[in-house]
Amino acid sequence: MSPAQENQVNIIEGLKERIGGGNVLETRIARVRRIFLTVKVEALKAAVNHLAAQGFKHITTISGIDLGDSIGVVYHLDREGLQLSVKVVVPENNPVLPTITDIIPGAVLYEREVHDLLGVVFEGHPDLSRLVLPEKWPDGLYPLRKKHSVEDIKRMVNEVA
Amino acid sequence: MKLPESETTFQIPIGPQHPALAESENFTFTVDGETVVDVKARLGYVHRGIEKALENGTYIQNLYLIERICGICSHAHTLCYSQNIDEALGIEAPPRARFIRTIVAELGRVHSHYLWLGLAGHEIGFDTLFMYTWRDREVVMDLQELITGNRVNFALFTIGGVRRDITPYAIEQVRKGVKTLEERIQYYKKMCAKEVTLLKRTVGVGVLKPSQAINLCAVGPLLRASGVKRDIRKDDPHAAYDEVPFNVITYDGCDVASRLFVRVDEVVESLNIIRYALEHLPDGPIRVKVPRRVPTHETISRVEAPRGELFHYVKSNGTDKPERYKVRTPTLANIPSVCEMLKGGYVADIPITLASIDPCFCCTDRVAIVDAVKGKKRVWTWEQLSRYSEKWHGRR
Repeated sequence: MSPAQENQVNIIEGLKERIGGGNVLETRIARVRRIFLTVKVEALKAAVNHLAAQGFKHITTISGIDLGDSIGVVYHLDREGLQLSVKVVVPENNPVLPTITDIIPGAVLYEREVHDLLGVVFEGHPDLSRLVLPEKWPDGLYPLRKKHSVEDIKRMVNEVA
Repeated sequence: MKLPESETTFQIPIGPQHPALAESENFTFTVDGETVVDVKARLGYVHRGIEKALENGTYIQNLYLIERICGICSHAHTLCYSQNIDEALGIEAPPRARFIRTIVAELGRVHSHYLWLGLAGHEIGFDTLFMYTWRDREVVMDLQELITGNRVNFALFTIGGVRRDITPYAIEQVRKGVKTLEERIQYYKKMCAKEVTLLKRTVGVGVLKPSQAINLCAVGPLLRASGVKRDIRKDDPHAAYDEVPFNVITYDGCDVASRLFVRVDEVVESLNIIRYALEHLPDGPIRVKVPRRVPTHETISRVEAPRGELFHYVKSNGTDKPERYKVRTPTLANIPSVCEMLKGGYVADIPITLASIDPCFCCTDRVAIVDAVKGKKRVWTWEQLSRYSEKWHGRR
């Protein structure tokens, strides 16, 4: 194993030790500088806290993905070029997550964006008002959810206009 | 007697702006006299739903849509996209293609930084600098057209490599052009270091301390001008950057002046990279044949765009269309920082401080000044704000 790989394994083992191995559902070292993890929602704050203390202070962005009956939220953290993506999965009918802006202030706009486009609520966020969608956008229409096709969105937006 | 804050402060909304520009924003400034005390950003005035559209296009169609995210650094988006899909497919672009990608990406940085230098000059009323740099920028634009056939949307990078080879004639012309650009940038470098007007308007303006830059996750020249040595080309090498020697430029003034010096020095580095890459250009094919369908995968690609870290994420599902495609542009990453930088500064320094992150909204054309207490409203154009700024500084 190369030193870089060893480093990646150590990051994952350190996290498991800190938040409990049972809270880490999936780990994948995709290549050098790329780690993908899935953790339980309850352990998200503890995981981000631990990783930020380990130097993953830069958040590149947060991606939201509609997975059918659930929504995946991926936190892309960075330490000197090493991208570590932490994924959590929340149910589509109750997508609630704690904010991480108290740990990483730079996440403030990314959480707002995911809230706008996928309807995930970040509890404790200072201001979850609209960021990218227009004022007149229909409530409850989250454009990146798969159940809304482009045609549906056009029709619903025209109805309120 | 001290008045409560709500009676001494006013709110000034700036923007939204010209719909033709990418990433227009609206800022609401709360001001106390001439001092900005709070800033709120509202984005999305030209939100086009590209991420949703990408889910409905094939990987090849998306290449052309991706290129149209930005009109200045279109090359950065196609580069990031091509590399991302290369990785999802498990293929690697041939060495010659990786070098051509590097050359064109650096030409793009040179044109973008020259463009910024002119706009920065314009924002502080130094239009001679604007005229000079934009004239010189034509040299790069012509080279881009010569290599790719296009001035803005190059349509050069593709999945598995590049679409056109670089001809010996083009190499000769690029060498000549690089020489001219180098002489000019050395002149600007000398001028910027001494020019009193420029320094008076930029030194100590729009300060972002290193700790703030790190906490607010700033990227690109903004971060490097706060003394933080981070560059995706070094930290997460892509294209041929791991084979080309270059320096990561940092300055520790943490102000608009440092951002200017960083960009000027980066142009010098870019020109060196182009020259080195041309000298060491490997022979061989420029592209590998790729399948239309992408197996189930999840990959991330990052590029150091002229404005900083550009991020693309793809989740593929075995079809010829992505399940999810996510893009994060550097300007979005720098919005929290610019809000911090504006606090405590003067109203008259708003234009240059906003411009110092090199956002894609330099030509904001509507500014509304609202008296929050009396509910009165004055509407200013960006030009009026600029003129106000010049006059205000002229009186000091």
